[in-house]
Amino acid sequence: MVQTEIAAPPVVAVPRYASLFIEGLREANVSLVTFLPESLLKGVYRQLPHEEGIRVVRVSNEAEMPGIIAGAYLGGKRGLMMMENSGLRQACEPIARFMYTHHMPLVMAMAFRGDFGEPNWWGHAHGETMEPILNALRIRTHFVSTLDDIKPSIKKAFVHADAGQSAVALVFRGECVEAAAPHVQD
Amino acid sequence: MFRIDVAKALATLVTTDDLFISSIGAIKDDWWNSRPGPVDNTFHPSILGSVSDMALGLAIALPHRRVVALETDGSVLMNAGAMCTLGHERQPNLTVIVLDNGVYESIGAPPTLTSFNTDLAKMADAAGCPDTATAADVEAFTRTADRMLNDGRLGYLVAKIQPGTYPWPREKRKSTDGIEDKYRFMRHVEKLEGIRIHWGAPPQI
Repeated sequence: MVQTEIAAPPVVAVPRYASLFIEGLREANVSLVTFLPESLLKGVYRQLPHEEGIRVVRVSNEAEMPGIIAGAYLGGKRGLMMMENSGLRQACEPIARFMYTHHMPLVMAMAFRGDFGEPNWWGHAHGETMEPILNALRIRTHFVSTLDDIKPSIKKAFVHADAGQSAVALVFRGECVEAAAPHVQD
Repeated sequence: MFRIDVAKALATLVTTDDLFISSIGAIKDDWWNSRPGPVDNTFHPSILGSVSDMALGLAIALPHRRVVALETDGSVLMNAGAMCTLGHERQPNLTVIVLDNGVYESIGAPPTLTSFNTDLAKMADAAGCPDTATAADVEAFTRTADRMLNDGRLGYLVAKIQPGTYPWPREKRKSTDGIEDKYRFMRHVEKLEGIRIHWGAPPQI
């Protein structure tokens, strides 16, 4: 049997950071989001498919996303690429190609896996390598740490990417991602 | 069937209302000299693996307009998971045409995996693409592409071609780079759609 319909939204409260994130997308006229979900921004991934007027494209590899966003841009549609920061490593080649050989705007939103206090051993490399890679690619990066910075950051990221015809990274951390597991809160 | 035959056959089926995302390599000059109208209706991403992705994004942005992806076997194989995204999205105004010569021709023609056991049309079918086919001659290609372009469903057509590059003289070869291509394609879409994608200046305060 082919499943074609999205199930009704789960009966769970939408976290404040996720509501602000989606409001920010609407205020920035973003109508397409392509993502490979992870756990730190799961409130956004869970809610987005139920948001009218925002097309969601699910991918299986982060390297698919820069092309999708570039195509949408040349059709007049603003799109956002969402992932864990490990996806940056996976998508380096298409990011660099579109940014340098075509001067294509690209806004990426990524969760900061490997931030200070990371409880998962496998996540530490994500944090250690993220900033050096962003710096090596010369991608303008903004860390979003507080709830009141979510909406202005999303809006500015699109203005910056469009004006500069370049890539911009928003890195979500602190109160802008899921709360840490109980065992690391103390 | 050669690459140039596919380009010429496709050109008889499309119009200046359509948009194209094409692989780089030899198809670039074949399509540039065959495309409908002397207009900037084709964008060539400089990377293997992103042609279908980009065509999908464009087709989503412009659902009322036909979009054609001119893929190659090397490009599809580099990012084969994109077939699953295509098969899930099933974007109805998108047709993907894969020029499958079984080799990496521009670097001396070592084989790609489609020279052995890999069947791209079967992969696309298993990934959920609703209309897939393989064409081995111009007549089959033309008939199948015509149907896929007009049936309002995502089409995935693998054109089995022989290696061989048409010897375009230098003045006939596409001479623009990736940045100029972007602006020319963007301005073409703006004219077609009556929209503005990139202003180049902030709004006056």
